[in-house]
Amino acid sequence: MKPARVMLVDDTPTRSAILEQALLDQGLTVVCRLESAQSLIKNVEIHQPDIIIMDLESPDRDTLENMTVLNQHNPKPVIMFSEEGDSKIITQAIQAGVSAYIVDGLNPLRVKPILDVAIARFREYQALRKELKQTRDQLADRKIIDKAKGLLMKTKGLDEEQAYHAMRKMAMDQSKPLVEIAQNILSVMELLTL
Amino acid sequence: MNGAKIEKKALKLGYMPLSDCLPLLVAQEKGFFEQQGLKVELLQEVSWANIRDKVIVGHLDGAHMLAPMLLASSVGLGGIKKPLMTAFSLGLNGNALTVSNTMQAALVELNAQEFDQAITMKRLIEQRKSKKLPALVFATVYPYSCHNLQLRYWLASAGIDPDKDIDLVVLPPSQMVDHLKLQHIDGFLAGAPWNSVAILQGHGHCLLTALDIWGNAPEKVLGVTQEWAEKNQQTHHALIRALYQACAWLEDHAELALPLLEQHLSLNSPLIDQDCLIPAITGEYIFDHNQIQSKAPGMLVFNRFMANFPWLSHGQLICAQMKRWHWLPEDTDCDKLVAGCYRPDIYRQALTDVTMPVDDFHNEHLSMT
Repeated sequence: MKPARVMLVDDTPTRSAILEQALLDQGLTVVCRLESAQSLIKNVEIHQPDIIIMDLESPDRDTLENMTVLNQHNPKPVIMFSEEGDSKIITQAIQAGVSAYIVDGLNPLRVKPILDVAIARFREYQALRKELKQTRDQLADRKIIDKAKGLLMKTKGLDEEQAYHAMRKMAMDQSKPLVEIAQNILSVMELLTL
Repeated sequence: MNGAKIEKKALKLGYMPLSDCLPLLVAQEKGFFEQQGLKVELLQEVSWANIRDKVIVGHLDGAHMLAPMLLASSVGLGGIKKPLMTAFSLGLNGNALTVSNTMQAALVELNAQEFDQAITMKRLIEQRKSKKLPALVFATVYPYSCHNLQLRYWLASAGIDPDKDIDLVVLPPSQMVDHLKLQHIDGFLAGAPWNSVAILQGHGHCLLTALDIWGNAPEKVLGVTQEWAEKNQQTHHALIRALYQACAWLEDHAELALPLLEQHLSLNSPLIDQDCLIPAITGEYIFDHNQIQSKAPGMLVFNRFMANFPWLSHGQLICAQMKRWHWLPEDTDCDKLVAGCYRPDIYRQALTDVTMPVDDFHNEHLSMT
């Protein structure tokens, strides 16, 4: 059995690189990786993939769907191959942001593992993005808090610990996040020094 | 509001960022959904394929949908076979055919009087064939769309075979203008506001509005699965009432909705501003970069002419045209298919204080027949 030929269309190169590696690890062939669908039709004709994995949020899905109409041998949306009772994997794919197109001859038994890999990698990427954002937000918060603390120390003649406790108390009294209190302090001070 | 209890209060509705999604935006903004006891979340989608898939798997309760998509999905064309239906048309018309400046000049050179007639297009195609030039490329927005059917209808009226004499591609509406500018395509048939974007930027000329092909044509509908409609009858009625209210409001106040439309359409499209939204909404249509406005009063109809009634004849027209291009088998029973996809009975039940037509059919205004 020849390895299935996979084509990836995703405008997020990091994500499609992760997915490509995962598919290669499974012994599959990644024939083409496109970042935009500019030359989608031409590439499908040249590379003749068995399956196309596409970012669900790509507007180019409609362009690809038209190929299905034009030629019976062109890849069709994977949703066509799911039985109505077995739409779980399709729902999972949609939630993870994956869409897939497969050619008629490809055994449905071989489709599921490929889709599973794509779903897992898309989810992983989503989680990574979320984590990165959290870390960035935390760092930004820290900067604001430190700045407010410094201002309090300078204007009120407090030491570092006193300044921090003053802000903590305000945050608890007003049941607001510390960073919001720090932001308020900075805004007020800015007003006063103008 | 009816006393009957709605089955599902929190709804997710999908839409594509086009001028004719306005009824959904207005129903949300003006609190019409809320007045009907619904809590609606509107989700902007990037492709018609997403709209279809998400409605089918139940990720969305319903959506702003292309009318031919109902029939296509009900028989399993281009996707999983899942019966879809509508009991509410979101409006009529809105489409136009815009061609590149190069093509416009070529057509005028061939026949300055009738440059906008299909017969002139036929001559241009023959001329290019004899010069061994590549086939003209036209774009529409989705295979199973009224855009595609209208373009085919118009070309075929002059004996042009859309499957042989030209190349027909599908592009996302937001990419039409760039592809026209770069001459990847020679023309496109799409909905508002994309024709106006191309024209105001000077990259194309509106050859004709689709009003000259099909008058008061079906376009977008509120699409749901037949299964959903069965389970959520009262919710469906409430949804129809809220959308009707929005459409009636839009009929008199469309200009007031321009900022709302701009806000939602410009989210992912830097090309959109209020100037390009005005022509289709007001009917003061602009055909050419240098030309003053011309009247196209029915360019986008939200409520008058019984625009929201889900005419069986709309479904019949679409079914017949889909057969014509062999998308549906010759022996397809259009009466049966349309009876599942178009449900004027539900519209009549939902709206008790609205003037109703006597019949579920009317004559469709097709040109050149």
